[in-house]
Amino acid sequence: MGNEGTYPYLLLLWLLPLAGAIVNWAFGPQLKRAAGPLGSAFVGVSFIATVLMWGAATQGVPGGAIGAHQSLFSWIPGFDFGLLMDPLSLLWTLIITGVGFLIHVYSIGYMDGDKAFARFFAYLNFFVFAMLTLVLSDNFVGLLVGWGLVGLASYFLIGFWFFKPSAVAAARKAFVINVAGDVGIMFAIFMIFASVHSIAYGDAFAFTSYPSGWLFAICLCLFIGAAAKSAQIPLHTWLPDAMEGPTPVSALIHAATMVTAGVYLVARCAPLWSHDANAQLLVGTIGALTALVGAILGCGQWDIKRILAYSTMSQIGYMIMGVGVGAYEGGVAHFFTHAFFKAQLFLGSGIIIHALNNEQDVRRMGGLRAKLPFAFWAMLTGVVAISGIPFLGAGFFSKDLIIQGALEHGHPIMYAVGIVTAGITAYYMCRMLFITFLGNYRGNVDPSELGIRHPELAGTPAHEEDDAHESHGRAPAWLMNVPVAILMVPTVLIGWLMFGGENSPWAHFFAQTFPHETMAAPAPVSEMFTAVIVFVCVIIGIAVAWMRYGAAPAAENAVERLRVESVRMPAVLTNAFYFDAALDWIFVRASQLLGTLFGRFLDPQVIDGAVRETVFSAQWLGTLVRSFQTGLMRTYAFLIAIGATIFMIYYALAAGGVK
Amino acid sequence: MDPMSVPVADYVGLSAVIFFIGVAGVIVRRNPLIMLMSIELMFNAANLLFIAFSRAWLHNAGHIFAFLIITVAAAEAAIGLAIVVTVFRTARHVDVDDVALMKG
Repeated sequence: MGNEGTYPYLLLLWLLPLAGAIVNWAFGPQLKRAAGPLGSAFVGVSFIATVLMWGAATQGVPGGAIGAHQSLFSWIPGFDFGLLMDPLSLLWTLIITGVGFLIHVYSIGYMDGDKAFARFFAYLNFFVFAMLTLVLSDNFVGLLVGWGLVGLASYFLIGFWFFKPSAVAAARKAFVINVAGDVGIMFAIFMIFASVHSIAYGDAFAFTSYPSGWLFAICLCLFIGAAAKSAQIPLHTWLPDAMEGPTPVSALIHAATMVTAGVYLVARCAPLWSHDANAQLLVGTIGALTALVGAILGCGQWDIKRILAYSTMSQIGYMIMGVGVGAYEGGVAHFFTHAFFKAQLFLGSGIIIHALNNEQDVRRMGGLRAKLPFAFWAMLTGVVAISGIPFLGAGFFSKDLIIQGALEHGHPIMYAVGIVTAGITAYYMCRMLFITFLGNYRGNVDPSELGIRHPELAGTPAHEEDDAHESHGRAPAWLMNVPVAILMVPTVLIGWLMFGGENSPWAHFFAQTFPHETMAAPAPVSEMFTAVIVFVCVIIGIAVAWMRYGAAPAAENAVERLRVESVRMPAVLTNAFYFDAALDWIFVRASQLLGTLFGRFLDPQVIDGAVRETVFSAQWLGTLVRSFQTGLMRTYAFLIAIGATIFMIYYALAAGGVK
Repeated sequence: MDPMSVPVADYVGLSAVIFFIGVAGVIVRRNPLIMLMSIELMFNAANLLFIAFSRAWLHNAGHIFAFLIITVAAAEAAIGLAIVVTVFRTARHVDVDDVALMKG
């Protein structure tokens, strides 16, 4: 895969963020406020180098190698390491460095005044490097290295405010679940190497004689990793908790890039998936289920970042469904548009959180449209894009590609789930928008009147990080507004790249990247029909949200309505469908039970018991033998005499027998 | 009188009697001096057998063994008496049943 050559820009864009991380790590105390611009500059130059790599990454002849391949080193036969940049990894690299750069700039403003300012940028740069390692590797082991490193970076950044116990717990949870996924990928690599004797993508994809059933097992193991990283059911529970991290982190890692690594993995391994219908069905089903569950859970959240987290989970469900069923262009397209509009939504929510002194509960917002007009427009374009309102936002184009793709590849149920989820998505996003920006400001209302029973548990309480995170930083406001404003352009417009079916620029870009399956039959309904149905669902969702939260009567007595809704929120929603409890029962309790078994029974009874019994039997034998040792000389003499007599009798009889 | 006019079985019988007198002495008596004397009896019973069979079969090996046993018996008596004296020095009396330091 890829045209062999030496590509200085490729090495440059890969290693620059690492250099930035090292510099910020080593000289953070000296750099002080310069750490932010410096870290951003490294990523910015990396983005320029990525753009300069565009030509090399898309070069290629039809049917032949495409993209740029740079060998790094060989370890032992079969283990050749190198960098590969083809259209797929180019796309990811553009997002990682491009959106990453904007988020770096935003962070200069958002993190201004934080005591660990340089540490933040060191972690952020390190994350960019790790993510680039993941997408640029030309083999599975390199992918796994990047995979593990982004998990580590995610751990660092979720637990960035490590003085908050909840942040530390969330970081640990994310890391543990992600490591479970890493193990899955590791087993996939074992199986691939056992059959192919090489770790390179090209060799693994060209290999055709996998033992029976192995292809499914490999895909399954790879997907365990993908599901853990991309927050797919049932390994998604870490993502909402990961919102404990600073908001730019949520935007970059837990919305735009890292959580889409699973989509990248499935898209990258498309040749494997295309050969196994069961694996496709599994991945598509999990994706559809995640999209639906995430959307439903998004309706029951009050923390603005958790709403966005569940929406991220739901949107990644769409992507996974797309790449799962074989609509690779669609899944990847949704990654591309989602990276823009979800980053924008997170950064917009960051502006709100920043302005309200770290308040995250939407019930204590309201009426912010007048206070924060820029944030309102940023969130509005984001909501329009994610809801899939035709032609006005990027999400419309990519989401329809996936929904239509599910039908074209023969999965009508996933098609229906996709349409329903689109309606729910529109509902909960508009719910968030209306509660936050319409009506009157409720920040001065007593929390109990809003139904907030435990203010300290409802998101991050205001003023908590005043020691470390000085909210009233000296950085100018434009540092946070400009990146969001830049993101608004692709959020609104980028979807047109995917317009035009087979002739769209998008289809041309990926013309030679993904395997094209021949359709058994043309889809029963046209794209236009699908778009109309989706639009109807979206309109219904928006209308319901408007009736409940936006319309004048609802907005007037918003306090009472929110209180009633908070109190009457079904337990199923507040407990997130009991996934945490289920995982707790299945894995944590089971492990504890196993531990108890070992600790209470196996170790003291069996292992210690064996040692103890050995001692006891030796003692018992000693006591028995000791009773013969009377110390009385005459007893010994008597025993000797008896023994001698027995010998004599024996030999006398034996001698007689011989005769 | 020719010693061989007495049948060899009589010597064996006498030897057995002396030997068991010795064994009984060792087992029954508690005075170490008497026990040493009883051990001498057992040695001499063995010696008597050696000499008797040596004469009966006209073979000299028995004589040599008899001398060997007399030597061993002398050494044994020396060591035994030394032990008895040592025990007497600490305990001021001699009774083998009191010398039970090896009791387990």
